[in-house]
Amino acid sequence: MDDTLSVLARADGARLKSFAETLIPDLGEIEVLQSRSGLVMLPMRDTAKGVAFHLGEVLMSEAHIRKGDVQGYGMRRGHDLEASMAMALVDLAMATDVRRADCKAFCDAQAEALQKADDDVLRRVEATRVNMETF
Amino acid sequence: MAYVATRGGERAIEQSERLFREEMGGFDRDRVEEVRKSLPYLIDRVMGEASLYDEDLAALALAQTGGELYEAVLLLRAWRTTQPRLQVAAPIEQDTLFTHRRISAAFKDIPGGQVLGPTLDYAHRILATDVLQGASYAPDPVEPADTPSPAYQPSVSAWQADNDLLDPPAEDPTKGNDIPDLTREPLLFPSKRAHTLQSLARAETGGVLALGYAAMRGYGQAHPTVNELRLAEAEIAVTHPDGRQFSAGRVKVSQAEVVDKKGEKLGIGYAATFGWNEVKCIAAATLDLNSPGAEKGSATEEEFFLYHTEGVESSGFCIHFKLPHYVTFQSSLDAMRDAKAKKAGQSKSSDMEPAE
Repeated sequence: MDDTLSVLARADGARLKSFAETLIPDLGEIEVLQSRSGLVMLPMRDTAKGVAFHLGEVLMSEAHIRKGDVQGYGMRRGHDLEASMAMALVDLAMATDVRRADCKAFCDAQAEALQKADDDVLRRVEATRVNMETF
Repeated sequence: MAYVATRGGERAIEQSERLFREEMGGFDRDRVEEVRKSLPYLIDRVMGEASLYDEDLAALALAQTGGELYEAVLLLRAWRTTQPRLQVAAPIEQDTLFTHRRISAAFKDIPGGQVLGPTLDYAHRILATDVLQGASYAPDPVEPADTPSPAYQPSVSAWQADNDLLDPPAEDPTKGNDIPDLTREPLLFPSKRAHTLQSLARAETGGVLALGYAAMRGYGQAHPTVNELRLAEAEIAVTHPDGRQFSAGRVKVSQAEVVDKKGEKLGIGYAATFGWNEVKCIAAATLDLNSPGAEKGSATEEEFFLYHTEGVESSGFCIHFKLPHYVTFQSSLDAMRDAKAKKAGQSKSSDMEPAE
């Protein structure tokens, strides 16, 4: 899995939009191929027989943009076309070496925030660990 | 073929909908937000049965229908048909689930241990009536551990397969649009396993519980032991146009494995659904465990439980009976009167002497 894209897909929406907006002047002219919401079907693996089956569909927002031959893409959960477009802008900026250091710093900061949020959840889950003994 | 036309119905229909909506009043974004935040387990149940994951849409459907669950699920199922399908994600694998709750009733020392996670299993069931007297209820905060719980764990059945207690599952390379999909093809019997599990994932919770409970009480062939129950978040692994795979976010899922002794190895049943709904998963996995060799027409026979736990179809069929059936019912009455008249005629003729 691509870590940078995975972080952008879960990054804080407001911060992502603010940061992506600053990239627009540097990116110059871009072509928007797609900006829409729709459904992604999510399959799951059955542990009894190993079969893949569909769990259901998830509402997602998608943005697909292009600058020359280089593509930028964003897909995030829920209906937020601005956020998916912001993700695509950051992806395109990194692919075209536009303010790469700033983009990396943004992604690193978001990755750290997501990791901290996950750790907080898991420390709370750990508080519910049970150790059983048979008497 | 005949029909009855009803005059003046249009106004009555409009007023009846107004009367229904009058009780709950108007609703806005704030009410939808309040429903979403305060009723997460109801939201999960609706998303699972609708087979559509989005908390905002589920909350909207509940606000719009005043909590009439069958109507809310129907709204969501109808809405999803208007949306394009962007992609089919990669299948969720067990060892990639971000785990919040993982317990086993079969083994106390499962690899990775047991974490209770969020549950009311051990809570006192006392109604907080003080709240109605003006008190506010604020739960005590969780006291986090110093170290995080391991996020990722393999399934308990994988560990059992390693120890020769279970046959390991076969490799299934099917992916993307090749995975059988009930939303695009009919359910036929004997059902494909992918159809069975998809159907159970979107089944109505109460229906699954009723039939699963029947199996648990003895109207089935196998008694379930919960091998593993897990509440988790799953990554939505999608593909960038340039071929890179990434997680486009997480959704809550629940899954259950149940086992029973079957010869020299364990038999296993499995079910999963969107959202955190463990009763549905345990009951559905019990039906899966019981279905091989089930008697035709029994609660644990695949055709029986898949058809009868499909909430939109079953509730729709149930409520259609309240619609006017005047012509068919009149026909039944005519048949009854005819039979009665014939019986009376026969009785009269049998009272007569043979010579008459």
